[in-house]
Amino acid sequence: MKKKIAVFALSALMILSLAACGGTAGNSQPPPVPGGETPSDESYTVGIVQLVQHPALDAATQGFRDALSEKLGSKVSFDEQNASGDSATCAVIANLFVASNVDLIMANATPSLQAAQTATSTIPALGTSVTDYGTALDIDNFTGTTGTNISGTSDLPPLDQQAALFQDIFPDAKKVGILYCSADPNSKYQAKVITEHLTAMGYTCKEYTFSDSNDLQPVATLATSESDVLYLPTDNTIASNIEIIKNVSLPVKVPVITGEEGTCKGAGVATLSISYYDIGYTTGEMAYDILTGGADPSTMEIRYAPKFTKKYNPEICQALGITLSADYEAIDMTA
Amino acid sequence: MQLLEYFLSLNPANLLAAIPGNVAQGLLWGVMALGVFITFRLLDFADLTVDGSFATGGAVTVVLILSGVPTPAALAVAVAAGVLAGLVTGLLHTVWGIPGILAGILTQISLWSINLLVLGGANKAVNVDKYALLVSLRNVASSIITALAFSGVLVFLLYWYFGTEQGSAIRATGSNPQMAKAQGINIDFMKVLALCLSNGLVALSGGMMSQYQGFADIKMGQGAIVIGLAAVIIGEVLADALLAKYMNFAIRLIFVVLGGVVYYLVIGLVMWLRMPTDLLKLLTAVIVAVFLAVPYLRAQSKNSFALASKRRANKNA
Repeated sequence: MKKKIAVFALSALMILSLAACGGTAGNSQPPPVPGGETPSDESYTVGIVQLVQHPALDAATQGFRDALSEKLGSKVSFDEQNASGDSATCAVIANLFVASNVDLIMANATPSLQAAQTATSTIPALGTSVTDYGTALDIDNFTGTTGTNISGTSDLPPLDQQAALFQDIFPDAKKVGILYCSADPNSKYQAKVITEHLTAMGYTCKEYTFSDSNDLQPVATLATSESDVLYLPTDNTIASNIEIIKNVSLPVKVPVITGEEGTCKGAGVATLSISYYDIGYTTGEMAYDILTGGADPSTMEIRYAPKFTKKYNPEICQALGITLSADYEAIDMTA
Repeated sequence: MQLLEYFLSLNPANLLAAIPGNVAQGLLWGVMALGVFITFRLLDFADLTVDGSFATGGAVTVVLILSGVPTPAALAVAVAAGVLAGLVTGLLHTVWGIPGILAGILTQISLWSINLLVLGGANKAVNVDKYALLVSLRNVASSIITALAFSGVLVFLLYWYFGTEQGSAIRATGSNPQMAKAQGINIDFMKVLALCLSNGLVALSGGMMSQYQGFADIKMGQGAIVIGLAAVIIGEVLADALLAKYMNFAIRLIFVVLGGVVYYLVIGLVMWLRMPTDLLKLLTAVIVAVFLAVPYLRAQSKNSFALASKRRANKNA
């Protein structure tokens, strides 16, 4: 027994001493150099922290990787981690990246960005798939630059133009139901903004929230029974469960306008879509500027999706008997 | 060859450097594990409220800090909120006769809505640069010290409390409710008390975690009961394996907190191994399962009947 205690105490002592060494190494960041890397450094390590497995987020990560791989080739290596939907794991991942002294952190979705911001004030961190940086980072009077090591791209869709879709396709509708998941911070923001636009156009808007995929069906049923048209913001839970919404809205012939192409392909009539791959790619370009061009994230403005396209779902439009003008592009239903 | 390349690409220095962060997070969850220990082990009550009260603690703390309340006061209010949550579960169970697990689930479901109202949305950030936080991922070394201080004080207080008459009454209620009732203990009151205490601790842990990670999220409590139970059981197995003869209540409490640390060290290890990220939860479960099985299997292998008969044969030979 005495031997066991001795062994245990010795190993605990060793682990603690290693941890202490690791602690100082992990906490003493190199002095903040704008750009983070001297030009003579040959290879870069980029840490990617993604909140959850999800087509839009996956597309953004892919765009980011493609952009950096194209520009830096084999000089960049990625450490891609996924928190599997658990926000506490984001902190573990951010801690790992800081301890590994990566050259740049790419944070995909709001909790990932918040964890990255807390973990380090010196390593450049670029966010993507975050709608509103001011709210996400608790910055008052946000004007586009954070003044810290954070920058990135926003997936804010052009909500005023999306509201214009309603006028274009459903000018006679009266009640619009806005359906989103109460756990998604970005959806609430989009719902608020689009309600303002739609109310100004003369529609009556009502919000319907559900907490997770289990309540989605009853809430969606209620929403379709009380509304003429539904609107779905860019919401992760909705995107994962879009079939449910299609099965609820199509039989009762309630059309759906969505915030992005993925959900339109699933259940929507039309959308003014951003491409998550594109904003991921733009984030990659920003990362390249920071890593090699000496750009300073504190002065880099948040960038938005480069282009929007009006798209429509030919199958659902046919089922509902809706014909649209030629400036709408058909979504490829086979892809 | 690919395997060799993979192993060479792993940098042990990174793992060691990441350990302090995982230890800090594990200690903070250890406080929650203490709460789960009180209801699960002492009261023999599977309390599912913790998924909700963890997020409540986080939400209340962040909202108060953002409105300018000093952090310790915000944490105190968060604890009070957790106590209230425990009270609700306790009353549902004792006064309305709802079975324990269901009472916990009902409270957990209601807390989702309440947390949304408190947070004013699904997520709220608390910026470590703007507010004086007690713990933060930005400053791991001081967070470890603060977390150790918190856990140390809490372990001491719990050890003292469960030695008092009331604390022992709670333990008696969990151990044998019929006998406790026969001895004149008000078991309903004891159950409610234990639930309040437990959820207060869980809310405290939620408040600390939300400061540590820099935000409070409506989903931050999801799966908390699983982590809490894993921490409690890992702690018990470890304590049994290492200190079986010296086991006492204080050591059990300390090992509950250590169980949380071990759980987060395992997650940190899995992350460092750069396995396909979809497999994170599966691998964590496998590593924890192996961890828990080893002492049991060792004991089995030493105590089999076959070995016993071999030993007898050797003695007689």
